[in-house]
Formats: sequence, C-alpha cells, structure tokens
Amino acid sequence: MEKTKDYRLYLAFVVFFLILLPVGNLLGFVSTNTISLWGRYFCFAIVALGVDLIWGYTGILSMCQAFFFCLGGYAVAMHIVSAGAAASGGSGVPDFMTWNQVDTLPFFWVPFQSFGLAILLGLLIPAAFAFVFGYFIFRSRIKGVYMAIITQALALAMWLLFLRNETMLGGTNGLTDFKNLLGLSLSSGNVKLGMYVLSLLVLCGAYFLSKKLVGSKFGKVLQAIRDSESRTSYTAYRVLDYKLAIFMISALLAALAGMLYAPQTGIITPGRMDVKASVEMVMWVALGGRGKLKGAILGALTVNFLYSICTSLFPDSWLFILGFLFVITVLYFDKGFLGALEMLGAKFRKNKPAARPVAETETLQS
Amino acid sequence: MNYTIKVWAGIALCLLMGKNAAAQSDSIGILISQVLDPPHDSARSMALHKLVALRDASSFPFLGAVNDKKIYVREGKPVTTGEETGEDSGIFPLYNLYPENTPVTDASGKPVAAEAGSLQKVDISRTDRLSLGPVLAYLNLANPDPKKRIIAYGQLLTTSDSSKMNILAEALQLEKDKDALTAGKEILFQMKLNASLSETEAQAYIDSLDSNWGENVTNILQDYAASAKLPAAKAYAAGKVTALETLQSRIEKAQNLFSGISLGSILILIALGLAIVYGLAGIINMAHGEFMMIGAYATFCMQSLFIDTLGINSDMFFFVSLPVSFLIAGVFGLILEKLVIRHLYSRPLESLLATWGVSLILVQLARSIFGDLTAVKAPSFLAGGWQVMPHLILPFNRLFIIGLTIVVVSLTYLMLYRSRLGIRIRAVTQNRSMSSCLGVETRKVDAITFFLGSGLAGLAGCAMTLIGNVVPDMGQTYIVDSFLVVVTGGVGKIAGAIVSGLGIGFLTKVLESFYEAVYGKVLILALIIIFLQFKPRGLFPDKGRIAED
Repeated sequence: MEKTKDYRLYLAFVVFFLILLPVGNLLGFVSTNTISLWGRYFCFAIVALGVDLIWGYTGILSMCQAFFFCLGGYAVAMHIVSAGAAASGGSGVPDFMTWNQVDTLPFFWVPFQSFGLAILLGLLIPAAFAFVFGYFIFRSRIKGVYMAIITQALALAMWLLFLRNETMLGGTNGLTDFKNLLGLSLSSGNVKLGMYVLSLLVLCGAYFLSKKLVGSKFGKVLQAIRDSESRTSYTAYRVLDYKLAIFMISALLAALAGMLYAPQTGIITPGRMDVKASVEMVMWVALGGRGKLKGAILGALTVNFLYSICTSLFPDSWLFILGFLFVITVLYFDKGFLGALEMLGAKFRKNKPAARPVAETETLQS
Repeated sequence: MNYTIKVWAGIALCLLMGKNAAAQSDSIGILISQVLDPPHDSARSMALHKLVALRDASSFPFLGAVNDKKIYVREGKPVTTGEETGEDSGIFPLYNLYPENTPVTDASGKPVAAEAGSLQKVDISRTDRLSLGPVLAYLNLANPDPKKRIIAYGQLLTTSDSSKMNILAEALQLEKDKDALTAGKEILFQMKLNASLSETEAQAYIDSLDSNWGENVTNILQDYAASAKLPAAKAYAAGKVTALETLQSRIEKAQNLFSGISLGSILILIALGLAIVYGLAGIINMAHGEFMMIGAYATFCMQSLFIDTLGINSDMFFFVSLPVSFLIAGVFGLILEKLVIRHLYSRPLESLLATWGVSLILVQLARSIFGDLTAVKAPSFLAGGWQVMPHLILPFNRLFIIGLTIVVVSLTYLMLYRSRLGIRIRAVTQNRSMSSCLGVETRKVDAITFFLGSGLAGLAGCAMTLIGNVVPDMGQTYIVDSFLVVVTGGVGKIAGAIVSGLGIGFLTKVLESFYEAVYGKVLILALIIIFLQFKPRGLFPDKGRIAED
C-alpha cells in the first residue's frame, strides 16, 4: 500500500514537471523564466539530497556543501569562459584576466578548455578535497558540533580565497558572461528548456540512486553510525571508511548540482559559497524533513520557491521569514514539512490504524 | 639622554653661522609697528622691504599672516586667526605674531577666540604683498599648522638659496611641535651632511641624523652611503643603515606582537561567553555574534542619548555604555533563552540551526532600525597612543581593550571559582542530573549563565566600537573565529579560551605579516586541523571516562 502511494507521488511529480511544464513552455503558457527558475531549484534539490545523505542519514553536519557546489559550478564556468575566449580569437585569455594585466592563461585553467576534462575535474576536485579534508577530520574523531564548526571555518577560508583576484577566478565578481556551451547558445529558450529537463533527470537519477544506497547494507551502516557511532565501531565496522565515503558522495552530488546550476544562472560568484549559503542548504533539509530523501527535495523546492515569491513581494522581510521558519521548525516540527504533512494525513485517515512502523528512530542526536 | 645632547650640538653648530640674529630683533619690532601703522604713505612698503631683506625667522609668522591677508590689531599688537572652531561658527582662535608666535590668552591664561568681524583688520595692498616674493618659500616655516611646516622644511631642500640653512636653524629654534621638530632637524642635518667636507664632521652629522631618528633617515643615509665622496663616512653611514634596519624590523615585530595580543583579547572576550555556555548546556549559539552587535548598538544609542538628547558632550557616555551594553545584551540573551534555547538543551546541532535563524532575524532587525552603517565616536581620552619609543606607538584604544579583557577575565574567573553561583555552574557543567539531584536548580543556573555569556558578548561589542564601525553583520565576522577558539581551547574551559584566543590572535597577525591576510586565515585553519589530530578535545580536555560519549 505504501509502495503504491509512493508511485502515485512519483507519477504526479514526473507528469507535472517533465510533461506539463515543458509542454506548457513550448506552447507559450509557461514563461522561459519560470522554466529556468525551476531548473535551478532542481539543482538545489540535488545538493539537498547530498546534505540529507550525510546529515540526515549519517548524522554528520557538514557546513561546507556550498563550497563543493561552487567547485562544480566554477569548473563548468571556467570551461565556458575559456572556450568562449578561445573561440573569439586573440590570446584565449578571458577578459577579466586581461583587465588584471594577466596575458597568459594560468596553468590550472588550461585543462578546462576541454569539456570532458572540465566535467571530470569538476567532479574529481571536490571528491579529492572531501577525501583529504575528511580523512584528517574523521581520523581524529572530530564529530558533532566540532565537525560543523571546522567545516564552517573551511567554507569561510575558501570563500575568502575565492574572493581574491590573485587566485585568477574572477574575484568578487566571479565568472560571468557565458555565451556557448558545446556550441549551444545558453541564452536561447530551447537550450534553457534542455538544461531544465537535464537537471530534472539528474535529480530523479540522484534520488533513485540515493534511495538504493540508503536501502542497501551500506545505508544501514550509515544509520547505525548516526544512532551510535561507538557501538558501530565496536561491531568491527570501520566507521572512518563509511564516513569518508558518504562525505565524498555528498560532495559529488553538490558538485554535480553546481555544474548544472552555473550555465542556467549565467554567473557564479563566491557569494554562492559563503558561510550563510552552506547553512541555508542544511536548512532546506531541516525544513523539508531530515532523514527522508523526499523531505530534502521538498524542502529545497519549497524554500527556494518561497524565496522567489517573498523577495518580489516584500523584499525586506525575507530574512525575517526564513529566520522564523528556522526557529519554528527546529523547535516544533522536528520532521519538517514532510513530517507535518504526514501528521495531517494521518489525522484524515484516523479510522485506519497506523500500520507503518517508524523507520527512522527519533534519536538523531549526536 | 645622549642623543638629545647630540641633537642640540648639531643645532648649536648651525647657529654659529647665524649669530647676528639676536641683535636685529629690536629693529624688527619697530619695522612691524611701521607696517601696522605707517607714519607716511611709503613707510609701509619700505618697512616690508626691510623685513624681507632681513630674512629673520622671528618675523616670518608676521609676514605669513600678511601674505594670507589675515592680519589684525588687538591691543596694539599684531594678531592672526587660526582654524575656525567648529563648522560655520564664525569664531576663530587668535595667535600673537611678534615677538612670540603663541595663542592669545586673557588675564587668566585661557586662549581667546573672536568673531572675524569684531577685529580691527589691517589692509595691506597687493603691491606690498607682492614684495614678499623673495621670502615666500620661508613663510610657511611659520605656518600655525605643524603639517604645513613639515612640508615647508622639506621644500627647503629643493630651493637653491645659500642662506637656507641658517633660516631653517632659526625656524627650528621656534619650533614647538615634536614631530615637526624631528622632521625639520632631519632636513637640516641632511643639508649639513651633504655640505660637510671633513670625515669627522660628516660622522657627527650621521650620528645626529641617527639619534634624531626621523621618518626618512634610512633613505637619507642609504643615498649618502651610495653617493658620498668621503670613504670613512660612507662606510659609517652604511653601518648605520644596517643597524637602523635591524631596529626597524624589531619594532615591526613588536608592533605585530601587540596587534596579535589585541586581536586575541577581542577573541577572548567573545569566546569566553561562548565557551561557558557551550560547556554548561551544550548549546552552540550562532547568535552569539549578534549579542556583540547588540552591545555595539547599545553603545551607539547611549552616545545619541547623551550627546543629542541630553546635550552632555563628554566622554562619560562610554563609561555608562560599558554596563549598559552588558545589561542589554544580557537581557536579550535571557529572552532568547526563555523562548528558544531552553527547548534545545544538550542538542547542540539543533541549537546551532535554531540560533542561526535567530541571528538572521536579529541582523535584519538591526538593519531595518539603524540602517547599514553607524559609527561611535571614540572617547577623546582614548585617541592617540602611548609612544614607547620613536616609531613604536601603541594605540590607547587597543590598550584599553586589552585592559578590559584582563579585568573581565579576572572577574569571570572569580565568579566561576570563588562564588556560590560559580560552584553551581561548574557542578551543572560536570554532571547535570547529579547536581539536580543535590538540589541545584539547573534551569535557573542555565538562565543566569546564558545571561552572563550574552552580557560578555555585549561588552565585547561595546569595546569593538572603539576600533571599527557599527554594522548589522559585525558579529558574523568574528563568530567563526571565536568558535575556532572554543574548539581549540576545549569545551567550557576559561583557561582554554584564553590560551587559544591569544594563540589564534597572535598567529593570525604573525602569519598576516608574512603572507596576505587571507592566506594567513587558510594557514590558521590548516594548523588547527593538524593540532586537532593530536589533541582532538582541545588544549584542556575533560579527564576521565565521562569525557567519552
């Protein structure tokens, strides 16, 4: 019974987003702007899946997901910018570097001229970063709050580093002025629709893979670590390996999302990776419903949708609304929107006995 | 003492060549009175011409005022006006011009100020003023503004007048401002050095330059060592340059040490409250930085209240602000504790997220009330600095912050280790349920601790107004750093917060002096992660089995 309900939900989701919206766009009912906006929300939902895997299922609060997101975004942006500069003739050096009196392409920009290498590096660099950083952190058994603070400090330091002009990544202004990706003009409506569909498909793929992962033995061990790390290690599981693996997976998901995000917005700046951005990513999951993959997606989509509405209706009060949502959710709706919806649903179907056992235990504390 | 003697020896040497200066001073007085009140038409021009020809330093203030058309007569004496007191007040302080260039004082010794219209002005024709041409370069030597005088001394180097050394020496005799005197002497010695023909003379001037220790002494000596014709003096100058450079790098190190300590003490002030609260209740308070912001705005409000509303234009407001900012931030903390925090005890991750929400609300609140940028005027007694030695100045505001930190840390220590409240706080920190069993009202202890912790942050905010602007997100600049202090120090340990606060502040400044600030920050993070490899629970971990969860 539970399964059929899930399938109905997936069906509704797919019909609405994969068929109704694109067809509406092609027929002219839905503006390209809306399509591109939702395309970006799907990218955020992919990040949220990663956050949910590491925080909701493993209990590690990582506050540097936005950094991984930006690593992916910058990789694609660097490809678009350097390929664009090479295509327009001249020395092949992007404009912003010429303004800073740099006339040869820095060595680390060279591989990004090829699309394949750019994608590869956009995934490899975050994974390698997560591996090295995670290895040292998990090895010294930094966990809980300490982990949150250290990753936050990492996000802060990297943000400051990207803000500099000497790092050759565009400084405060970031990378912008994207024109073509693989010969397709990024400003055309059809390409935007294509990016939207691609983001949606990647989101669906990531969701089903994550679901498989969570249901597998690997996923069970992750939840065991969340519920009691020391007991898991006493039963001869190498906790370090599992934590490292999930940290890398969530970094990869974030980088993937960043790759899809950058061409759709047309700009990537260090502002996307400051401390606030990472905490917001965690909040999407907390608001949507931690420890449930559907909740993560729901949270990312609703919060960003709300953000778009609120900033145009009452621009000054968005932070108030977000702040209150944070506080109220943490205090009263431990399971987020999804939990609240399920509670409502249970009330409607009072006559039926609550057959479903609670899959996720309530001991999410660290 | 030795170097002052050398400096004055240099001056005396210069004066030997201008010994006729004193004899002329009486005739200058007569000439000035002729300019002010000429007996016949051509007398004024003649007197001015004579004054210009005499080229006596004591007449320069008078001639400068003539050139600036700011010459007045008060009680038969020539006076001039200084910078307007306050904007558009129309009131100017008065200065005597001859025989001494000093502020005009009344019978009780207070400086006199007057409206420009109430003074009897002496009009001097344009032709007469043009006759000052030959001495124009020297007139600024007597300018009331010390900065202009320093520039005028520098300009003498480029003029090609043979008498400039004597004039400079005379002008320096009248110089009262310390910085201007040093700069002027430097120029004088430089000219003397370049003109000296014998080895001993040159070495004497190199010594004088060295002990005078002006702004450009290294450059001057370097140039001399590169271009001079006297071999011994050349080598001597080169030796002095090396010695000066070592000294300068030592001073730089001392300055770095000092700014490291002062940054560290700010971090300690912020981290202290954070460490106590986290140790006691397992709360990660992301809004802690915002309590600092509240303290800063409380100071700003006290300033507005005192100066704009009550009209008390004194530095008193700052002393009142210290307790007020503590109280206001503390009360905000208490409200937060009652509304939010008490539901989250020993759920650090949840508390981190909820308080982050609170911090968003508080920042936005401050922004909509106060706007984006406000500044607190630092009290005047904290302006300036303590000059330990030339070129090493410790600013008073930073010293004040260090002092405040010492006082606050000592008080916190006494509170925690020498009072009934302290023993309760420590008991709850160690074992909450056991203390509850023994009759400690843990909820009350929690509330009081939170009040104290937030108050400390408010105090830090009040101190921060001394060194920076008050902006809504000022707290977020320091919050990550102060969390790092707590992590490195060990949870809930005062000693840990102090040692790691000082350490991180100091390291940051030292690394910043080697690399750029940003790379310094990245390095600090790397160092902390490496440090935690060896001491995962910080500098001062809890001992015993209970420490493992």
